[in-house]
Amino acid sequence: MSQYRVSGRGRVDTARPVTFTFDGKSYRGAQGDTVASALLANGVHLMGRSFKYHRPRGAIAAGSEEPNALIGTRRGSGRFEPNTRATVQEIWDGLETNSQNKFPSLKFDVGAVNDAAYMLFSAGFYYKTFMWPRSFWDKVYEPFIRAAAGLGVSPIEEDPDTYASRNLHCDVLIVGAGPTGLAAARAAAVEGLRVVLVDENPEAGGTLLSEPQARIDGKAAWDWLAAELEALKALGVKIMTRTTAIAYYHQNMIGLVEKLTDHLPKLPADTPRERLWRVRSKQVVLAQGALEKPLVFHGNDRPGVMLAGSAQTFLNRYGVLVGKRPVILTSHDSAWYAAFDLQDAGAKVQAIVDTRADVDALLQSEARARGIAVKLSHTATATSGRLRVSSLRINPVAGGTVGAAQDIRCDAVLMSGGWTPSLHLFSHTKGSLTWDDDRTTFLPEKTPEDCVIAGASRGLWGIGAALADGAEKGRAVAEALGKTGAQVAYAIEADRPGTGVSHKELPTDLSAGKAKAFVDFQNDVTAKDLRLAVREGMRSIEHVKRYTTNGMATDQGKMSNINGLNIASDALGKKQPQVGLTTFRPPYTPTSFGAFAGYHRGEHFEVTRKTNIDSWAEAKGAVFEPVGQWRRARYFPKPGEDMDTAVRRECAATRASVGIFDASTLGKIEVVGPDAVEFMNRMYTNPWTKLAPGRCRYGLLLGDDGYIRDDGVIGRMTEDRFHVTTTTGGAARVLNMMEDYLQTEWSDLNVWLTSTTEHWSTVALNGPNAAKLLAPFVEGVELTEEAFPHMSCVECTVAGMPARLFRVSFTGEIGFEVNVPAHLGQKLWDILWEAGQQYGITAYGTETMHVLRAEKGYIIVGQDTDGTVTPYDAGMGWAVGKKKPDFVGMRGLARPDLQAKNRKQLVGLLTEDGSKLEEGAQIVFDPKQAIPMTMVGHVTSSYDVGTTDQPIALALVEGGHGKMGETVYIPMPDRTIAAKITATVFVDPENTRLKI
Amino acid sequence: MTAPISSFMPGVLTASAAARVGFAHRCARFSLRARGDLAPLEAALGLSLPDRIGQRTSAGEREVLCLGPDEWVLHAPESDATAITAACAGVYADHPHSLVDISGREVSFVIDGPRGAELLTLGCARDLDTIAVGEGRRTLFDGATVILWRDADNNFRLDCWTSFATHLFHLLDTGVRELGAENH
Amino acid sequence: MLLIHCPYCNETLPEVEFAYASEAHIARPTRPSETTDEDWAEFLFMRSNVKGPLYERWRHVHGCGRFFNAVRDTVTDKFLTTYKAGEPRPDLSSLTEGLK
Repeated sequence: MSQYRVSGRGRVDTARPVTFTFDGKSYRGAQGDTVASALLANGVHLMGRSFKYHRPRGAIAAGSEEPNALIGTRRGSGRFEPNTRATVQEIWDGLETNSQNKFPSLKFDVGAVNDAAYMLFSAGFYYKTFMWPRSFWDKVYEPFIRAAAGLGVSPIEEDPDTYASRNLHCDVLIVGAGPTGLAAARAAAVEGLRVVLVDENPEAGGTLLSEPQARIDGKAAWDWLAAELEALKALGVKIMTRTTAIAYYHQNMIGLVEKLTDHLPKLPADTPRERLWRVRSKQVVLAQGALEKPLVFHGNDRPGVMLAGSAQTFLNRYGVLVGKRPVILTSHDSAWYAAFDLQDAGAKVQAIVDTRADVDALLQSEARARGIAVKLSHTATATSGRLRVSSLRINPVAGGTVGAAQDIRCDAVLMSGGWTPSLHLFSHTKGSLTWDDDRTTFLPEKTPEDCVIAGASRGLWGIGAALADGAEKGRAVAEALGKTGAQVAYAIEADRPGTGVSHKELPTDLSAGKAKAFVDFQNDVTAKDLRLAVREGMRSIEHVKRYTTNGMATDQGKMSNINGLNIASDALGKKQPQVGLTTFRPPYTPTSFGAFAGYHRGEHFEVTRKTNIDSWAEAKGAVFEPVGQWRRARYFPKPGEDMDTAVRRECAATRASVGIFDASTLGKIEVVGPDAVEFMNRMYTNPWTKLAPGRCRYGLLLGDDGYIRDDGVIGRMTEDRFHVTTTTGGAARVLNMMEDYLQTEWSDLNVWLTSTTEHWSTVALNGPNAAKLLAPFVEGVELTEEAFPHMSCVECTVAGMPARLFRVSFTGEIGFEVNVPAHLGQKLWDILWEAGQQYGITAYGTETMHVLRAEKGYIIVGQDTDGTVTPYDAGMGWAVGKKKPDFVGMRGLARPDLQAKNRKQLVGLLTEDGSKLEEGAQIVFDPKQAIPMTMVGHVTSSYDVGTTDQPIALALVEGGHGKMGETVYIPMPDRTIAAKITATVFVDPENTRLKI
Repeated sequence: MTAPISSFMPGVLTASAAARVGFAHRCARFSLRARGDLAPLEAALGLSLPDRIGQRTSAGEREVLCLGPDEWVLHAPESDATAITAACAGVYADHPHSLVDISGREVSFVIDGPRGAELLTLGCARDLDTIAVGEGRRTLFDGATVILWRDADNNFRLDCWTSFATHLFHLLDTGVRELGAENH
Repeated sequence: MLLIHCPYCNETLPEVEFAYASEAHIARPTRPSETTDEDWAEFLFMRSNVKGPLYERWRHVHGCGRFFNAVRDTVTDKFLTTYKAGEPRPDLSSLTEGLK
């Protein structure tokens, strides 16, 4: 057995030894140990170096509040995590751990020179130090800050673990499975409520695990605990351990992070490392307990100086003596019990040093009975020892005067400055706090949530009080949920309630200016830093926090808040409630990015929608691009082709013979009802009344501000039924906008809207041979100019499939869009592909589609428009119905600004030197003007891969419609390009190619 | 790469001791919208149209779920589609409504197994306990709109738009294995 | 994430099922062409942007699809009530009385 392990104590299984490494050295611990308890069992206190001064540090606490003992953990390749608290990480065979913030070694760290340069790193040192000279920034300051900043090292390999999330709904969520939480769970569960009890520790029990001497209802604490947990499970309580409530959101939503594998030597299959639970509970009971405060004195951070309650936990939970000759330094009764427990376990307690003059006589007699020296009315003024404390310097205090010092030899200093209720989650609810002068701490007051706070987290000490309050609060929430709620009482023996006082930094006879009395261990903030901040003008506690970094980072004030507040309020000469607390921010403890990402990583990062023809495109080697949530084939490269070559080939083939295109992603909305045509008249700019069934029309949709929102071809299938198409990205937005007008403004209309985007697979055929290819498959209509002219639509049969056939063109060629029920899309595609071989049919993607439409001057909403373009700006005044009484955007178009002369208007651009313009490039009229130049527009679309003999571009240019033939300039980083303003149609302006 | 939707065949797609996900046979699906007197439509369809959102009724193999104050989704065998269309067309002139074929729009996953309900909590934020057996709801599952039909405590059908199916199946499959591992 | 009561479904459901839809009770003029530029600008652009209870619209977009109205306190993010479109706006004083 290890040197400091006490046989017969603790809940670890010493019969099951576990071997792990720390800084390359192998250690043995027991099943159930944390890294910290196992190292302490081996007599190792030095576990890390501090953030700023690189001072040697050991574990000060035994739980998740630990600020010092931050380690890196490794499990083979890819599984490295920095900043894990050694007091939380459970050991398993093969676990590799490392200390942080040291070079070259933990015992000899060159960074500790910072400790000697203490003045440089005082409060606000960032603000003061890196001011000048300016030239030092790049070469000196920034590299220094970057090297020094941050705790630990970020992992650089991809995380091979998986993460999960789940939603959970319950009646009562109880945070903390100590005596308070257990009693609350029982009170709620006996009423038949859905109860969830969570605890961040590997096992439930809380304080009971550290106080086995207590007896509840006649049973030893641990026996009672085991029986109670079984009873709760039998009542249906969901008990979750290794599960931290990280944050409390609106309306009783609590985030829990459950750690599933970090404690296991072997990773089980299909098991995520962590799971984020989004819990929605009707009532919440916060029973997180209290955190012990350090005392603030010179040298209080030396390894071996730790919290007395934590020493008690190491002994009773892990069977580890943190020292054989400890000295107790306290202002609270609770540390006396720690002294007794350690003494009874074989340690030789050197003294109990209490700052108070009056201490319970019973405690004093118990100390005397054990032969422990007692020093009342004493302060501590220093510690000594290099990498481990070897003595504590104490002085009597009488009438405010610090007397002569005395050194007490020791191997551990166990301190207690009293307890702070854990108010973190309560504060997340925006709960108000009230200052309690007796306890020198804030207590919870009111919360806007359906939440109660119980036990030590509202300032009640002792197991008896915790059980009673837990039972009472459990009953209260059950009543709030309409249950009767029964009174439950527990009989407690050997309980240890106690009292104490709270301090600012302890009085000293040494120079206060040289004292390193730490308040925030993690951020290396001392009492002197806080006082300096106040002297330098920081008045608000929020400013003091930021200037000194007190309570920042993962600590979030767990250790430092009240001590910091006591010192700052003393320096400000104000009472604590006038100074106030800084905000506790979520998460309660550091949380991995993986837990937040959950399942959404890699391929599942976000929703990817695929058409029924997607797998064909993938098999053909298509290169995809995301369009909204869809992935669409962008082009189909043949071996050796880059995008430009492929697109040039696809364009040419479509203009020469026939191209096939998957247009299934186009938004589709079925508008049905007696008022369908009236609805269309009101929604779209175009007139619809005279559109005959079987005909279609290009529709423009505006917002009421008069700007273009969407467009698409709309077919009138029957008198009362329209087949509306929208842009791919606009489908959901347009339907939402239509529903908005219909439900809110025009509830008089008898018409309904249904999304049919996904009911149809849409296969587009374009090119001179499109009709020839398609005609043999179509039953129900002749594909002739007479029977089925351009802008016709019909329900018919294509290759035996029910279809809606549209004769439309987005390329300037003869074009058809064949809609068949989605599950038949691939079948239709295969048939047309096969039959199209005789015409050299070519599949094209969105890039070719973009080029071909630009050659015809067809706009793409969102590319050639940007939410400030009217139909007139886009040269599409022809699409605006002039005789309609109203449509969405009609009044907007009449606004003076939209009628102004020099609006930016859509034009074509041809460069003088034949070069391709960059989309987004700014345009000026006079290239010789002084910078900043007056910009008069920008290039919206630009291509040099199409079927025209020179690059083409579309652009929005101020007053462009009146400047045909004029030259504008596009300044680029290396040169200025001149371009001539042209019409937007570059191919077949007479539309002769549309004729069959 | 996730499986293409076309590779899903009716039957069990993934299973563990905890839960199972299958792919339902295709059926005829209609979106029905109507207001006012529903009796003529009910007569035409041969079933009553429930008036509370979430309620279901059925007649023979026709099954209808109320999704909104004037909205129902109707499932029926594929062979019944023409008859349904004709029946509704017959009453349209006097009782205007909207009947739109959405058979191609959606597919259905079938979820069962002892922890079928829990499987859905991976992606569904609403409290599933509030969907009674024999009812259904439109809701959100992992970023996609879905319709849940609760057929038994742990037996659900999940309708989604086809293009979301591979994304949703990826999560369902992960969940089936994850829950299965917990059972060990 | 908030919980929102849908007055059509008569259920209180997670916020993710809903979409915000701007301030409520801003009626589109029935004859837009007869409105002045000032009135039209008022309708298009001006919103009350209150600190406190705000009448606003939401849509149960992933549920019943209905637009409805709500009163939400923009300071606390608390919904005071929700009600169907077309119903008169509720009296604020009666809503704020019962607050904690």
